[in-house]
Amino acid sequence: MHQQPLVRLLDVTRTYPLGRVNVRALTGVSLDVGRGDFLALAGPSGSGKTTLLNLIGCIDKPDSGRILIDGVDVTPVPLHRLASTRRDTLGFIFQTFNLIPVLTAYENVEYPLLLQQVPAAARRKRVLDWLEQVGLSDQARQRPDQLSGGQRQRVAIARAMAGQPKLVLADEPTANLDSVTAAKILDLVEELNARTRCTFIFATHDPSLMSRARRCVRMHDGALVTEQILEARAS
Amino acid sequence: MLTKLALRNVFRNRRRSAITLLVIVFGAVGLILFGGYKAITFHGLRESTIRNRLGHLQIYKAGFERAEARKPLEYGLEDVAQLRRAIQADKRVRMTTAQITLMGLVSNGDKSETFMATGVEPKEDKAMNAQRLVSGTDLPANESDAVILGRGLAASMHAKPGDYLTLMSTTTSGSLNAIDVRVAGIFMSGVKEYDDRAIKMPLAGAQQLLQTTKVERLLVMLNDTDDTAAVRASLTTLFAKNHWALEMKDWSQLATFYHQVVALYNGIFGFIGMVVFAIVIFSVANTIVMSIFERTREIGTMMAIGTTRSSIWRMFLAEGLMIGVIGGVAGLLFGFGISNLINRVHIMLPPPPGYTQGYPLRVMLQPGILITAFLIAVITSTLSSILPALKASRLKIVDALGHI
Repeated sequence: MHQQPLVRLLDVTRTYPLGRVNVRALTGVSLDVGRGDFLALAGPSGSGKTTLLNLIGCIDKPDSGRILIDGVDVTPVPLHRLASTRRDTLGFIFQTFNLIPVLTAYENVEYPLLLQQVPAAARRKRVLDWLEQVGLSDQARQRPDQLSGGQRQRVAIARAMAGQPKLVLADEPTANLDSVTAAKILDLVEELNARTRCTFIFATHDPSLMSRARRCVRMHDGALVTEQILEARAS
Repeated sequence: MLTKLALRNVFRNRRRSAITLLVIVFGAVGLILFGGYKAITFHGLRESTIRNRLGHLQIYKAGFERAEARKPLEYGLEDVAQLRRAIQADKRVRMTTAQITLMGLVSNGDKSETFMATGVEPKEDKAMNAQRLVSGTDLPANESDAVILGRGLAASMHAKPGDYLTLMSTTTSGSLNAIDVRVAGIFMSGVKEYDDRAIKMPLAGAQQLLQTTKVERLLVMLNDTDDTAAVRASLTTLFAKNHWALEMKDWSQLATFYHQVVALYNGIFGFIGMVVFAIVIFSVANTIVMSIFERTREIGTMMAIGTTRSSIWRMFLAEGLMIGVIGGVAGLLFGFGISNLINRVHIMLPPPPGYTQGYPLRVMLQPGILITAFLIAVITSTLSSILPALKASRLKIVDALGHI
């Protein structure tokens, strides 16, 4: 039986007011993302990558078209009612890490689990496990301002993964990191994708990240222009 | 977790939080000091009014208040001995004393002035500690023709202790009578208008002048002012049981000046309370708004990863509450300390209107005042964070994430 895609976009359009003019950020985008995919959205700045991620991430609404996440049409649901979808189904990794500065690395990873009301013992086990997986067991008690950029992004990855999401959305996750750190982060993410079968969608213009993706969708002026399947990575 | 986040965020921008806390502490201390000053003023004024002048309860013959008497002491009490014994049987009663008030002319032979005299029982009156002697002696216990004069009246009559004056008044039968009296001493009550007209004389002397054996009223002094209502109730029962045609008033019904002062001070206290309320509201609201502005992207992140609007709202509300609680507790501690300091250093205040003597500044720390100050701090602080918190919870996630 044909498996339902995790994300399905049908003719999605999004326009932003910018001063007195309306800017078309997305024009009639249709896209299916399968379970376990490792997909890169490539394209220059302003091509609509972030807008597309925001729509898939249920933090923005399309003007027209439909978006289905895990088979559920989220288009008619107000954003504030999608908090549980974001909490249980999605994980976010941001370009600027976006950790909560008053919380330690441990607490940042713990935060989504508290939202999910995971019992204390299981929560603790999972947080420690994820901190270990991203190699930050020794930094658990440190706050974000005591961590390097690479370490912060690792905490952010642990936070995104700890809630056991089906889909992780990452917007330029390596843009604020040096190339060596970026490569390590990519190794980690790639390994996680392979091991957990969690779906990853990246917005990037980093060629090294694109080259690692299994699917690379190029965008230009709010539309999908080409799609490259790099099956070699899958093997 | 929300509580932990809120608490840590309160201490995140320490300087700003410190300024906000300082405003709350100032407000709370202001309320405590003024409230404590108000309390001790009320207490002092109440007790001095009762003990010096009014007594806790006053008993008259039935009809005294409503009837316009045609002659002096038409509604006077006769043979109060039995009544006094019955009242003094109550353990809560410290003592009773009979009084007559009368008006007339006082003359030194060359000049006459109107006077208002109170006929008192010297021993009981001394126990009431009603006045301060400026010169001479107090009323002697067994001399019916001795008087003491208010300072103003003595000056006007050029009288000094040992001098003789003539008092003239209308008797209970309506005719005029005069007696010669010896000035035993000169007193001051602190109220100038009263001292300019006042004479105190023994009850026996007043009765002699008015040619009567009646007394006008019986004052009942209690050990504790708080018992007033209870004693009044039991006396009412006592009078009804014995079919005594009497009426009674308590100090609160008679103390007009006390009630005016209470109303004035309460008005001022209310106004200060409102000012403190407004300052705390603006200060805390400003802190929370600034905090939200600085943390916009953080709020966006929290909402993106699944935090609900109501959780964001509650987090900022909790920050307002915590600022209020911390400020309130600090305000209580400072208020407590400063009050004790003020009570120790004996600062003298100028005389209040109508008085000739100053009095020391004191602050009475009552639980009610402390609780009120604390609650005002907490409630205003929490209230003022409601709207900013609502604003934070309504942020658009995409806009918030893009905020720099």
